[in-house]
Amino acid sequence: MFDLINPSRIFNWIEKLINFINSIFFILLIIALTFALVLSPPDYLQGDSVRIMYVHVPSAWIGLASFTAIALLSIISFIFKIKNLNLITKSIAPIGLLFTCLAIITGSLWGQPTWGTWWAWDARITSMLVLSIFYILFILAHKLIDNKDRANKVANLIAIIGLINIPVIRYSVDWWNTLHQPSSIKLDGTSSIHPSMLLPLMLMLLVLLLYCALILLMKYKTEIIRIKKKNIKRI
Amino acid sequence: MIQNFISMNGYGFFVWLSFAITFLACGMLYYKTYKTLKKYEKDFAKELDQLSEAERKLVLEKSKVASQFLASYNKSI
Repeated sequence: MFDLINPSRIFNWIEKLINFINSIFFILLIIALTFALVLSPPDYLQGDSVRIMYVHVPSAWIGLASFTAIALLSIISFIFKIKNLNLITKSIAPIGLLFTCLAIITGSLWGQPTWGTWWAWDARITSMLVLSIFYILFILAHKLIDNKDRANKVANLIAIIGLINIPVIRYSVDWWNTLHQPSSIKLDGTSSIHPSMLLPLMLMLLVLLLYCALILLMKYKTEIIRIKKKNIKRI
Repeated sequence: MIQNFISMNGYGFFVWLSFAITFLACGMLYYKTYKTLKKYEKDFAKELDQLSEAERKLVLEKSKVASQFLASYNKSI
């Protein structure tokens, strides 16, 4: 199964996927932005400030999902010693850091008009800040440690330790009395968000996921070329 | 109507700034990633080009990625 992520097998597919995403990305972006900024209604309490949700919520989801993916792949990499997984986790990390930071910044911009403050040491916000620190440590481990095997081990360990923070972020609004509102979207079907707002949210999520896929593929391709370039002398 | 759209009933600063920061940051990461990829592609192609005919044949035979890369790179330039 792990042979499927073998660079020689997927190198050609990476180029094709990059071209495919590029061809549909801008059309989907325009549709998503039209729904988010024009067609979706203002909230009855928060007014038009609710539109910040269309960038804030997908960013937070992507930040969380990226770290979960990194941690799970790190565990698999630890057990099965698959080096290609380290290339993938290394490629995901900057994307996850970007979206975690965006979730914090856009959350702050949403907090000012709704809560009357840019920042609060609230459980959800603080645990997101901790997540961004884990991302930074993960990236620094790859940048600062010269020995690649050691860098991978340290980075994987950071990711596995950081995994503890994921349920804390997810359930912080239920476990503690926080300024941050509880989840409006639940997988069990008891979501409290109106479909007129859910549609733009899902469209923006789709667009940002496509963007993530594009960056991941480009970064993964760069990593493969970097390694092959190094190996050329050995052949 | 356009003024209403821009002001977002008083929330324009927060809404537009959120979207602007998001797309600017995404654009910057895309640009940096793209530039790095192109740099590595160019360097790799140059290195393959500098090999002797026999060496290049050996590399292309042994490395599937190198042969796939060279085919797609030659197509793109």
